[in-house]
Amino acid sequence: MFENIIQGFATVFAVGPIVGIIIGVTVGIIFGAIPGVSGIMAIAIMLPLTFYVDPVVGITMLLAVYKAGIYGGSISAILINTPGAAAAFLTAQDGHALTKAGKSGKALCMALYASVTGEMLSTLVLIFVAAPISLISLKAGPIEKVYLLLFAFTVIGSVTGESISRGLLSTCLGMLFATVGMSSITGATRFTFGMPELMSGFTFTPMLIGVLVMPEVIMAIRKRHNPQANLGLTVSPNPEDNRISWKEYRSVLGTIIKSSGIGTILGSLPGLGSTPAAFLAYGEAKRTAKNPEMFGKGSIRGIAAAESANNAVCAAAMIPMLTLSIPGDDVTALLFGAFLIQGITPGPTIFFEHTQVIYGIFAGFLLTDLVLLVLARIGFKFWTKVASVPRHYIFPCVTIFAFAGAFTANQNINDVMILILFTMFGFGMRLVGLNPAAYLIGFILTPMLEQNLDQAVAIVGSEYHLYFTTPFAWIFTALAAISVYSTIRQRKKAKRPVMAKEEKYDLS
Amino acid sequence: MNRRKVDVVLSAILITVSLIILTNDNLVEGGMETELGSMFVPRVIAICILLFSGTIGIQSLLKMHKKEKLALIEHIDTTGFGGVALYFSIFILYWLAVPHVGFIVATPFTIFSIAYLLGGRSWIPIIIISIVTPIVIFYGCSQYLRVFLPTWSLS
Repeated sequence: MFENIIQGFATVFAVGPIVGIIIGVTVGIIFGAIPGVSGIMAIAIMLPLTFYVDPVVGITMLLAVYKAGIYGGSISAILINTPGAAAAFLTAQDGHALTKAGKSGKALCMALYASVTGEMLSTLVLIFVAAPISLISLKAGPIEKVYLLLFAFTVIGSVTGESISRGLLSTCLGMLFATVGMSSITGATRFTFGMPELMSGFTFTPMLIGVLVMPEVIMAIRKRHNPQANLGLTVSPNPEDNRISWKEYRSVLGTIIKSSGIGTILGSLPGLGSTPAAFLAYGEAKRTAKNPEMFGKGSIRGIAAAESANNAVCAAAMIPMLTLSIPGDDVTALLFGAFLIQGITPGPTIFFEHTQVIYGIFAGFLLTDLVLLVLARIGFKFWTKVASVPRHYIFPCVTIFAFAGAFTANQNINDVMILILFTMFGFGMRLVGLNPAAYLIGFILTPMLEQNLDQAVAIVGSEYHLYFTTPFAWIFTALAAISVYSTIRQRKKAKRPVMAKEEKYDLS
Repeated sequence: MNRRKVDVVLSAILITVSLIILTNDNLVEGGMETELGSMFVPRVIAICILLFSGTIGIQSLLKMHKKEKLALIEHIDTTGFGGVALYFSIFILYWLAVPHVGFIVATPFTIFSIAYLLGGRSWIPIIIISIVTPIVIFYGCSQYLRVFLPTWSLS
């Protein structure tokens, strides 16, 4: 393994990957910091650019956008109390309190150091854990994989949606759309209605941009009459207020390590994502703090807990994708697509078939953290200025990038029509409470399910009891049932205070 | 807008689509014979869609029948839908125009229109962005990605 890691560093220390990482970090911070624009939009727009470059360059660039985008979200959260994502909500509470006290530099520094430390720790876990897990998952045959995929669909569908039925419906819609076109098993054409354009199914990139990115543009258009908040960095005359000293960092290092552990564990479970990780780590830090009353009022420990957990999810979310072929959220679904476009199928075999590429990507992860640390630290003022660009300059360009990205996939203008249709579809999904991430994961994993199901049927033949003799069958069925049950319980618990609140303030 | 009504309509549509998938054999053409057949997976998915959309539809119908108060997430805010319709019109026009007038000609008008729609009134920067962005994308795509965006083809 160590040889592979050194080889990975040798791969990534070249002009291409380093330039890719610098571009990725720059784009990620800018997009993450602009209120109303998420890092995922930047990843989806950058995706077509990676078609024509080396996998190490392309994938590390996308990962750099992902990591820097999460950090970038904390800039708007701290400076104008506008968290770009739900996970940055807690950072906004403490960070903005510090900003109001004229200590925005301190808050930004804490968020940056905690983010980078959290990311690095979780990357190390990814590097040392993923390959051994992949050895175990390599032993899984088609029957086990069918159960694993059904487990993934159930967990992701039930956890990510607004309600369990809506989450599972989103997954099923993605699965249904994936069956359009020629079946890779039988060669039959399904749901093409005589249209040859549909023979190869829906093109992934325009569909992805349409479902994930363009609805954000639509949201910006809906809110176009709302004034845009301006980011501004207040520099305190006292230098201590503009930085984090080594002593301060050391005082919260324990919290950072614990929160990174929470982020890594939750991130490696499909469907949970960074928000529960940030909330859980923040709660734990508050519970064990000497001065819990400071949390929410400008506590650097609070920022450290939320940001390190939030960012630790990045690398950990890659664990199920690389070891079990299961993307756990929308970003990993997108990265899964990027791997497929590069001709690499994420899964346990990746460590043996593409050793150099995967360890190059791991090394790229670590290098990204360093580049993020340097670029973000030297340019707080610059990033806040760039992120203040008015939306009427950004969203028209995003539209054109989306158009070019959709066209780039096959150099076919019909793909732009697919982009427009899926933009409407993605916007509609959000209106009725369906989840785009669950939809995308359903879309990506269905061909794998179909292939494994076909092989499983061929193995089992008429001896149907063989479906239930493998322990994986019982384990994954039990895990899926537990996940649905615990989600139902959690939602019921969460509903009670909301209902009480709604009764208090009659909404009708 | 009341999302419960939308739920009922959406469920009715999805149930109808699922029933069509379950009963119509003409949705698949050709292919070799296998034990499961080409429509096995789509039909299993259709059953699941039928169940989940049925659940959503029935829940919303019951709430409507009991005249329960609307929860916050059951309100669909229609503010700004006019702008959304305009945006889609611009995008569709752009898609129709590009194969004929080319990317470099059609794009500045699109950028300008969307910027105007978003409330941009600083004309000079908008015009500069409208002209520079398509040129950069066009040459970037052709030189570095070997992707050739549509050019003028009216002649």
